[in-house]
Amino acid sequence: MKAFRSHFLICGGTGCHASGAVKVKQLLQEEIDKIGFSDQVKLVETGCNGFCAMGPIMVVYPEGVIYMSIKPEDVPELVHEHLVKGRVLERLLYKEPMTEQRIPTMDEIPFFALQKLIVLKNRGKIDPENIDEAIARDGYAGMAKALTEMKPDEIVKEIIDSGLRGRGGGGFPTGLKWKFCAQTPGDVKYILCNADEGDPGAFMDRSVLEGDPHAVIEGMVIAAKAIGAHQGYIYCRAEYPLAIHRMQIALDQAKEYGLLGKDILGTGFDLEIEIYQGAGAFVCGEETALMTSIEGKRGMPRPRPPFPAVSGLWGKPSVLNNVETFASVGQIIANGASWYNAIGTEKSKGTKVFALTGDVNNVGLVEVPMGTTLGQIVYDIGGGIPNGKKFKAAQLGGPSGGMIPIDYLNTPVDFEKVVELGAIMGSGGLIVLNEDKCAVDIARFFMDFCQEESCGKCTPCREGTKRMLEILTNITQGKGREGDIELLEEMAVVIKNSSLCGLGQTAPNPVLSTIRYFRDEYEAHIRDKRCKAVVCSPLFKSPCQHTCPVEMDVPAYIALIRAERFADAYKIMIKTNPFPSVCGRVCDHKCQSKCRRAGLDEPLAVKFLKRFITDNAPRPQTVPAPVTRKEKIAVVGGGPAGLTAARDLALRGYKTTVFEELSEAGGMLRWGIPAYRLPRNILAGEIQDNVAALGVEIKCNTRVGKDISFEKVDKEFDYIYLAVGAHKSQPMGIQGEDLKGVFGSVEFLRDFCTDEEAWLSGKKILGTRVAVVGGGNSAIDAARVAQRLGADVTILYRRERKDMPAEEEEILAAEEEGVRIEYLVAPTRITDKNGKVNGIACERMKFGEFDRSGRKKPVVIPGSEFTLNVDTVISAIGQAPDMTFIPKDSGLDISKWSTFVLGKGSKSQTTNPKYFAGGDALTGPDTVIGAIASGHLAAKDIDSHIREINGEPAYVEPAAEKIDIPFIIDEESEEEPQAKMPELHAKDRKRSFREVELGYKKKAAVMEACRCLRCDAEVS
Amino acid sequence: MPKISVADLKKIKERVREDNSLREGSQRVKITVHMGTCGVAAGARTVMDSLMGEITEAKVTDVVVTTSGCAGMCSKEPMVTIEMLGQEPVLYGKMDANMMRQVFKRHVLLGEVQSSFAIAKG
Amino acid sequence: MKAKARNADIDISKEFTPEQLKKVDKIIEKFKDRPGALIPVLEEAQMVLEFLPMPILKIIAGGLNLPLSQVYGVVTFYSFFTMTPRGKYTVRVCLGTACYVRGGKAIYDNIKKELNVEEGETTDDRMFTLETVRCIGACGLGPVIFVNDNVHGRLKPAKIKDVLSKYN
Repeated sequence: MKAFRSHFLICGGTGCHASGAVKVKQLLQEEIDKIGFSDQVKLVETGCNGFCAMGPIMVVYPEGVIYMSIKPEDVPELVHEHLVKGRVLERLLYKEPMTEQRIPTMDEIPFFALQKLIVLKNRGKIDPENIDEAIARDGYAGMAKALTEMKPDEIVKEIIDSGLRGRGGGGFPTGLKWKFCAQTPGDVKYILCNADEGDPGAFMDRSVLEGDPHAVIEGMVIAAKAIGAHQGYIYCRAEYPLAIHRMQIALDQAKEYGLLGKDILGTGFDLEIEIYQGAGAFVCGEETALMTSIEGKRGMPRPRPPFPAVSGLWGKPSVLNNVETFASVGQIIANGASWYNAIGTEKSKGTKVFALTGDVNNVGLVEVPMGTTLGQIVYDIGGGIPNGKKFKAAQLGGPSGGMIPIDYLNTPVDFEKVVELGAIMGSGGLIVLNEDKCAVDIARFFMDFCQEESCGKCTPCREGTKRMLEILTNITQGKGREGDIELLEEMAVVIKNSSLCGLGQTAPNPVLSTIRYFRDEYEAHIRDKRCKAVVCSPLFKSPCQHTCPVEMDVPAYIALIRAERFADAYKIMIKTNPFPSVCGRVCDHKCQSKCRRAGLDEPLAVKFLKRFITDNAPRPQTVPAPVTRKEKIAVVGGGPAGLTAARDLALRGYKTTVFEELSEAGGMLRWGIPAYRLPRNILAGEIQDNVAALGVEIKCNTRVGKDISFEKVDKEFDYIYLAVGAHKSQPMGIQGEDLKGVFGSVEFLRDFCTDEEAWLSGKKILGTRVAVVGGGNSAIDAARVAQRLGADVTILYRRERKDMPAEEEEILAAEEEGVRIEYLVAPTRITDKNGKVNGIACERMKFGEFDRSGRKKPVVIPGSEFTLNVDTVISAIGQAPDMTFIPKDSGLDISKWSTFVLGKGSKSQTTNPKYFAGGDALTGPDTVIGAIASGHLAAKDIDSHIREINGEPAYVEPAAEKIDIPFIIDEESEEEPQAKMPELHAKDRKRSFREVELGYKKKAAVMEACRCLRCDAEVS
Repeated sequence: MPKISVADLKKIKERVREDNSLREGSQRVKITVHMGTCGVAAGARTVMDSLMGEITEAKVTDVVVTTSGCAGMCSKEPMVTIEMLGQEPVLYGKMDANMMRQVFKRHVLLGEVQSSFAIAKG
Repeated sequence: MKAKARNADIDISKEFTPEQLKKVDKIIEKFKDRPGALIPVLEEAQMVLEFLPMPILKIIAGGLNLPLSQVYGVVTFYSFFTMTPRGKYTVRVCLGTACYVRGGKAIYDNIKKELNVEEGETTDDRMFTLETVRCIGACGLGPVIFVNDNVHGRLKPAKIKDVLSKYN
């Protein structure tokens, strides 16, 4: 017998077959032949191993190694590694699944545990095509009771008492509807089931019809008995073939059993039910239109009264209820009214099924007691918003409904409350929208739907919806005009009041509700041509540029990287941003949050690419800007806002002087951000090149109010820009805060940045165990510095990680460096021994209700106090501007948050027209890029103000050097994640203040640039 | 089929409960493939086909396969429930043909719950 | 409501087989005396013929003893009915809310480009007819398209070509 060195046993089971084992086997053989190992390796096809999901699977003997998910392209590497080099190819190695992994029970999964199933009690439990299974779960028990033990008026009373209200949208009490019809004399009456579920995003009726059709039949029989009907119709949309198919089977089976047809259950009661297929008209969901449609005509509504209970289908008394309503009836009769009305709120009883869809993790059908809060539905049951995005609003009630924004997450959802908020319960479509959805665009979407579905009978609905759509479309295309919002509101009222049916009466709701809650977005579209959610593409060139507060031309400089024209790329950047080296390191890169590439794999690494340009581009020569204007301008504060304003003003010909309190300009960039994130020389270089070199005078060590008086500045300068930042830590407001060993994060970082030498040489000592309180970037900076000084650092944060305002990359880096983070804890007091800190007492928190930011509010767990032994506490819970330099009689108003108050109608001019303000001193702590934007705005406003007073024409920017932007894109985009940023290893950076991020190499940068989809390009 | 009376409803209920209860020998495992529109759209039919293929191939006779409507969690479709004698039912999500094969071979035949695909039990 | 092309001149004896036309007569016969027969007749007739040109509407109007204007009115009111011939495959792109917010629009634009047709049109080779629909209730899988009765969910624009190439 021939002896082989190695046996390759490739699985030949169906599963592996399906995942390409045949091809893999063939390639393996070819590869083995190619390297001349044919006589040493035997390739065998074996039976199934049972790991079909990981196929193709191959076992290699004598080693007994298992490889999985082998793709054809893996074969050469596999053969080469395993046979030639004799190494196991780790990448394809079978990994033991965690078999001990515990599977949660249904009660432990909020999606299932928080639901209360009445309408959906049989979901997933029965075979809908087998009537016996429905009967086994008490199907038809309510019907049996109603037919054998109850008189019609008793049934009606039971339903009235139960508090059941129509689930189709209106919420009219079901029992009352039945009562009216029962009281109308007539031999021929009809019972109708509305299964024309047309609201986009609603699919609860479909699910009930498909999963539990007998519950609907049972409800219809009971209702028929109550009103005295002997013919019923189920009007179902033709788009639901499976529902129709299963319902037909159910009807046939019920009839065979005598649960339908003549003499039901031997009680002498007759009822026939037929399915009537709708032919695709949304308006037919309206009751009178539905009846006209069954009559074989165009489904148009007719005026009420007479109500259908008096004159309905073919002019006979009729009751129409929705699927979900009927599906509740059987159990109400079987269990009694008091069983049902014990569930829910005062006026809305029982449960409601919602079709939860949109931007939510758990999409599906959800049945909850009326009064469950919106937050519970979206966050607890729905599992929150995917991809770390923020909740914006829930759209409830489809095209007839409205939006419920973030402020109302604690609202109990029932008929009354929902209407109060401007939505409607509707059939229960609940669409979750995240921050990437534009309110105006959503309103336009629903209006488009309504105008297309308007049957045309009532002119205001037919023409009005068209006109409203036109206005909305204009707004989303940047053609909105002042007065459009008011016009929309006016038309909405007319359409609502003058339409016959629900379609017209509710069609304007989405518009009204978005105007109610998102008026600012409408205004931004109309006035500033901005779409905050970056959806309305006619308003912008590319999402990244539109999201950037200074609208940096991101696609342009990325294209220039691809073309390896780095000098031009730098020129493009400084057109809008004087500090690209800074932003390439510490920007919060909002641009990346809207990058369309994220839909394919990951967003572009815009920040890293920016940094790459600044690392590699030669700097253009800066020549001083000639002073052409007589007005002199002072800037107080040498941070990013002040320096940006100074630069812009110098470029516009003004003599500008910056007063900086500390020894170097840069503000928080110099005195708050540690050097390992932003090296000093980089910052200083950019301030010199892009600000000082233009002729801006920067006077350091000059604090206004101390080194030079406020009055003197006021006298010597014509206009003053106040951009003093927010350099004072907010107190925690707990006992022991004034002890030795307690620092504010800003003060600590400033002291460290001022006197680095002393700290590093041990002349200044922090302590060995440090607690940092807070979750923002400043907390992380303080913690990472403390860690580098050799302390053992714990961050205490009162919410969860996902709620931390700090950048995710920063948090990760801190953890890598050994910083511990305790979540859901809040300090209560700082303890001491002989006046020196020896601990911080904390309480553990749990989540309560939602706050206005849409995050759950942490509340104290009683009795959870514990003390952390520390010798230093750094408080980083917020910062505020220091306004002590402002004299009382300056005419400058200061807000209760210690920020400047603006004059009426301006975004930068203060209550004293000579003074402008910006940056953190105006907004409270914000980002670098926010400060730069603020500086640009102030310069523009100051210049415009001066020119207006002088009666001069507006400033015209001199023609800039033309830089042509190459347009090269790839036809197909392969999935390819972001290029990784090379970093110092965590152990190398523990005690070092060297820059952590090392910057892309050219090859990586160009490859990353090639990932850009060039959304800015207009392809005709 | 004869028309039934109220008393018959109870009898049917008891009979079905009896028939559906799992027992050694005849009916050891019940597999439910959830086949609402969502499930079918997500590929429940292929899952069902691969299951039937496996059952035929394995020549087992004590496994009952049934379908039902949507199990409610559309984002996890296609879903399959496995009920084995004496054990809590396990709900599997986001199934495909090969995962179904693996669940059948490992869980149904060998009793190893494939926890990495499971959503919940009970 | 969608505009539909008139096509009075179509020769039904060329377009349809005698068997098909016989079936239509049977359908009319079946529903003739029932109240509200028109819509079910149209539904079943369309199932047999795939589209309902004017001469067929005339036959149905005559058979049910209804004015042609009513039949035409109903056919043009409901989006389910079509008076123009259709492709072998109907591609229906869901533009319901859930699909729309998950990128249904980009899918739709991509298909238009791929097939070189606008909404409601059929490709020259009569392979595909492009339509949009409002929510078919597969919201959990959005964005979705239908090709006849097959649903393709969790789509991305880049996958469109692949999906369509499976149909020939």
